[in-house]
Amino acid sequence: MEFKELDPILHAPLRLAVISLLLSVKEAEFTFIKEKTNSTAGNLSVQISKLKEAEYIEVTKQFRDNYPLTICKITPRGVDAFENYVKALQSYMHPGEL
Amino acid sequence: MNENERQMSEAESLSIISGMINRTKNRLSETGTLYLLWGWVILVCCIAQFVSLQYFNYQKGYQVWFLTWLAVIYQFIYLAKRKKRKKVKTYTDEIIGFVWLTFMICGFIMVFILIKQKAYENINPLILVLYGMPTFLSGIILKFRPLIIGGICCWLLALASPFVPFEYHLLLLACAVIAAWIIPGYLLRAKFKKEN
Repeated sequence: MEFKELDPILHAPLRLAVISLLLSVKEAEFTFIKEKTNSTAGNLSVQISKLKEAEYIEVTKQFRDNYPLTICKITPRGVDAFENYVKALQSYMHPGEL
Repeated sequence: MNENERQMSEAESLSIISGMINRTKNRLSETGTLYLLWGWVILVCCIAQFVSLQYFNYQKGYQVWFLTWLAVIYQFIYLAKRKKRKKVKTYTDEIIGFVWLTFMICGFIMVFILIKQKAYENINPLILVLYGMPTFLSGIILKFRPLIIGGICCWLLALASPFVPFEYHLLLLACAVIAAWIIPGYLLRAKFKKEN
């Protein structure tokens, strides 16, 4: 029986939550992600940086009415990584089917 | 171990994924404001032009349609403000935006051609055909039945138009905006208030 390795970048609660959230929308502001994931700004920015370093998400910084605005968007690489993560997860849950 | 790097069980991973997807799924961001704006503006224009022609024999009643320019200005301001407030852009919002943009472009080109050809009698029936399209599609995308029914009403009224005298076509248009924009607009507003 072979288990696929779970991507360590995604196999962390907050990073997985961020990727899952961004998968279902086109783009989202930092404050929206913070609100939906019930996380703190500090922790979220660390996790977002890690996802950005892995090129799983794209982060753009803008200004709106003189306030900084961070917009996050999932990349095709992020979508692939998520799909592989789910497949790997399935291999753990239903090992006989893969 | 750091909370972010701790090992999760498979069930925990799946629950995070489905939880996050559910939080954005079916999130209604449509307040119905633009449906109501356009619904009421077009209704007032239709009734005003109809009344001025039928009861006062005033031939320049079409000038009331200049009101639509005010609606266009209001729409631009409203959309700019809404864009500022929005913290998330969903695929649904984007697709619906393009559906209405397509409708506006097609409507503009069609009316331009019909005016050039002096085919005034065809304008309202064809506008009704066109009205049905974005209304019906928005209903399908938002999974909102009143808009689907509104779109179908537009097409039924368009089908009825060859059997209705030309001077009453404006009333068909008035019925269409009530069915396709005003009623769904109020229902959307109520649904939005309830969900948010």
